[in-house]
Amino acid sequence: MADVVEVTLKVNGRKAMRRVEPRLLLVDFLRHELGLKGAHVGCEQGVCGACTVLIDGRSARSCLHFAVAVQGSDIATVEGLAGRDALHPIQEAFHKAHGLQCGYCTPGFLATTVELLARNPGPDDAEIRRALTNNICRCTGYTNIVKAVRAAVAAMRAAPGAAA
Amino acid sequence: MADRRRYVGQEILRREDDYLLRGRGRFVDDLATPQDTVHLGFVMSPHAHARIVAIDASRALAHAGVIAVYTGEDIAKLVRPIVAEIDFPGYIRHGRDAVARGEVRFVGEQVAVVVAESAYAAHDGIELVEVEYEPLPAACDLETATQAGAPLVHAAIPSNLIFKGQLSTPDFEAGFARGEHVIRERFRSGRVAGVPMEPRGCLALPDHVGDRIVFYSSTQVPHLLRTALARCLDVAESRIRVVVPEVGGGFGTKAQIYPEEFVVAALAFDLRRPVKWIQDRREELLTNIHARDHIYDVEIAFDGQGVVHGLKLRLWTNAGAYSTLPFGCTLEPTGGARMLVGPYRISSYAYETHAVATHTCPSGAYRGVAQPTCFMAIEGLMDRIGRRLGIDPAEIRLRNMVPTKDLPWVNAVGVRYDTGSFVESLQRALATVDYAGFRARQPADRLVDGKYRGIGICSFTEVSGTGTPGFRARGLIRMPGFDSGIVKVEPTGKVTAYVSHANGGQGHLTTFAQVVADALGADLADVTIVEGDTAATPYGTNTFASRSAVTGGGALIRASTKVKDKIRRIAGHMLEAAAEDIVIDGGRAFVVGVPQVGLDFARIAETAYSMNNVGLPEGDGFGLEATDFYDPPLVTMANAVHIAQVAVDAGDGRVEIERYVVVHDCGRIINPMIVNGQIHGGTVQGIGEALMEELVYDAEGQLQNATLLDYLLPTAEDVPDLEIDHIESPSIDAEGGFKGVGEGGVIGAVPAIVNAVADALAGLGVNINRKPLRPSLLVRLMKEARARKVAEVSSS
Repeated sequence: MADVVEVTLKVNGRKAMRRVEPRLLLVDFLRHELGLKGAHVGCEQGVCGACTVLIDGRSARSCLHFAVAVQGSDIATVEGLAGRDALHPIQEAFHKAHGLQCGYCTPGFLATTVELLARNPGPDDAEIRRALTNNICRCTGYTNIVKAVRAAVAAMRAAPGAAA
Repeated sequence: MADRRRYVGQEILRREDDYLLRGRGRFVDDLATPQDTVHLGFVMSPHAHARIVAIDASRALAHAGVIAVYTGEDIAKLVRPIVAEIDFPGYIRHGRDAVARGEVRFVGEQVAVVVAESAYAAHDGIELVEVEYEPLPAACDLETATQAGAPLVHAAIPSNLIFKGQLSTPDFEAGFARGEHVIRERFRSGRVAGVPMEPRGCLALPDHVGDRIVFYSSTQVPHLLRTALARCLDVAESRIRVVVPEVGGGFGTKAQIYPEEFVVAALAFDLRRPVKWIQDRREELLTNIHARDHIYDVEIAFDGQGVVHGLKLRLWTNAGAYSTLPFGCTLEPTGGARMLVGPYRISSYAYETHAVATHTCPSGAYRGVAQPTCFMAIEGLMDRIGRRLGIDPAEIRLRNMVPTKDLPWVNAVGVRYDTGSFVESLQRALATVDYAGFRARQPADRLVDGKYRGIGICSFTEVSGTGTPGFRARGLIRMPGFDSGIVKVEPTGKVTAYVSHANGGQGHLTTFAQVVADALGADLADVTIVEGDTAATPYGTNTFASRSAVTGGGALIRASTKVKDKIRRIAGHMLEAAAEDIVIDGGRAFVVGVPQVGLDFARIAETAYSMNNVGLPEGDGFGLEATDFYDPPLVTMANAVHIAQVAVDAGDGRVEIERYVVVHDCGRIINPMIVNGQIHGGTVQGIGEALMEELVYDAEGQLQNATLLDYLLPTAEDVPDLEIDHIESPSIDAEGGFKGVGEGGVIGAVPAIVNAVADALAGLGVNINRKPLRPSLLVRLMKEARARKVAEVSSS
């Protein structure tokens, strides 16, 4: 049996400890050890962005990190974004703008958008498109994702604090 | 009394979104698996063509976590050869083993299966299976495989010609001869992949008896898959329930039935353990169907006014190593040949079309099938006619289009266009983009601010909602054509509708509910859609080729109408009125003119399900449900126009799309938001196909770009804002008036962009007759053209 290491992370505000193989990828740790299936594997090489989560507030490819290598980090996944009932304003904007079709890439786009708006609460269209090149979507042609991010910017300006 | 439409045509927000946005979508790899689940990994051939000499699994078997290794011989005891049963003159049937035996025919072909306790251990095992090969000569592209003496992909298929078809309209030669001008061109289109963001995967869960399995697969075709599994595993259908979980895009690539699906199902029966297999991206690019590797040799004859008198095509499509299930390899060669005449009044037409076997990944149905390439050819010809005669290419199109007053129209190959708006769509698109203004400003050399600027048009028809006759016309005898629905008003008065389709991002749970609510007169909130489960839904042809709105919508309308008739009879009985005087609206039935006295569905359902003392009308039985099937006509033809305005950088060859206009006509629109979403996505796939996407095989059959690092896809910065407008010409042939929309985006985008680049570089004398148009190609073509000009000047 392969060696195992103890990995402790903070995930969506809660401590999570598991004993896993050192080669276990963060995305597999989240998905198969913790059952957080929102981040998806799309290319295994950090290109497509479907596995994007926030590590200590920065967007990162969970398919390119070993879980053990981010020991002690604070991880935010899509599962921590919404309240029990209400969606986060960014999620609500994606819904209203039809910013998702199959939904496989969507958690990654949400993570990218959370990071973008945390750094730059008023991005223009070029800045939005530049940030969204972080992720690939094959269904929407990005048109409605860009609209959704614009709408999220407006909604979060109108109700600051809702994003916290 | 006419049905009142409350929901069809409305931008209803999707029911699918909430759980997907919360990360709660359950794609196949997200499903909970029992503890004793085994994981599969497939050993893939590193050779395009080789004999398998020996397989040594001993090191793999010694590895921790590896349970077993199955070779092709082992799997052949469990799975019959996979045969695409196309019945068409000129087609040569051949089989494929789910795992190769004796010989491999493309890089990526499955050679052995590793069964392991975890996915990680399965991948370890793949590395440890030692396969000895004797490499053989390979024919990896159309040009090589069609040469005399080329290596054969299958010994029983002479000249690698799997399929050859031809057609000539009566008096073709005489018609063609009436055109005083002839243009010949060869159009070449690069091979592409569908690349859904979710690769494929499946999970088979045996029941406690070990007799039946629930088979989850990321597929577009649950019913066809179940039939194929039952046939090749030689088990009754009742032992297999196919369930489609959330599907992360398909675009046709998941409408094929693949070898791994047979292996996963067979091993679940054999091992009596849950079996899971999740594809990785390299496997996806190496083994999921490829498409569009085509050569169009075309000749068009026309008169001095630009009116076309005859069209001739010789088409070659690269079929890859095997004919795939369920479409075989005839879909692309018949599609490209049959659709070439598009919206044009071309009555003298002849084609010869071929599917050529090569030592590459099999080809299949990718969004648009052959239509993006055949419209690249015909629309490229329209532009060439214009350039030859000095007449504007938009005007050439208008002179050749079937005018609306002549509809219905039967085209040269016998396809009926029932309704449409070819001329109106083009005129509206030209006006929107200010085509006349652009042409007036465009200098002869096209050069403005260091960029060559051009504009390109694609006017096209889009085959959708193909029915049984349409599939038979293309030799697909095992493809039913119909779809089906069951509509039930439940005892509480709520409505559940079951439809034979499967959802993969199209928003079916929302749009089908809109259709049923209107057809039944129910409240939208009371209607729930169930699909993608063979245990719950009736049989059908399923979800590909822009068919769900037409076939699923049609079936649900028919089933709803039957239920509605019964509601009328029960309501008439309860209200002491004639059934024909009952109006149903908003989930209530009332006597015409007396809306205040009515019965809601719950009261009517009580009667239908014998939960009161009323009793049923004479002649009616219990229950309040109906099943119906809908087989549309040959095909249901949508149409659209795309116009792209581009700037080609004279230095680095990069193409920027400065404006993009779409005028689309898919008949009656169910949900404009979703229709526009389909157009956005398809168009951007077309932008990728026109400008960057291409699978590149080397001469030895190695795929050079089997990762997303190397196979470029469009990102948010590569796409312009899309200006979309609609014309609605409801179908008069198809139930509900719906026409399909799923593929139009990609069909229009590829030719529009190719033509725009061709127009931009026309002043330089560059001939654009291929795609993709990557910067490296354009830089080379511009350089060559400039050198030619210099040579011309110096020699004169």
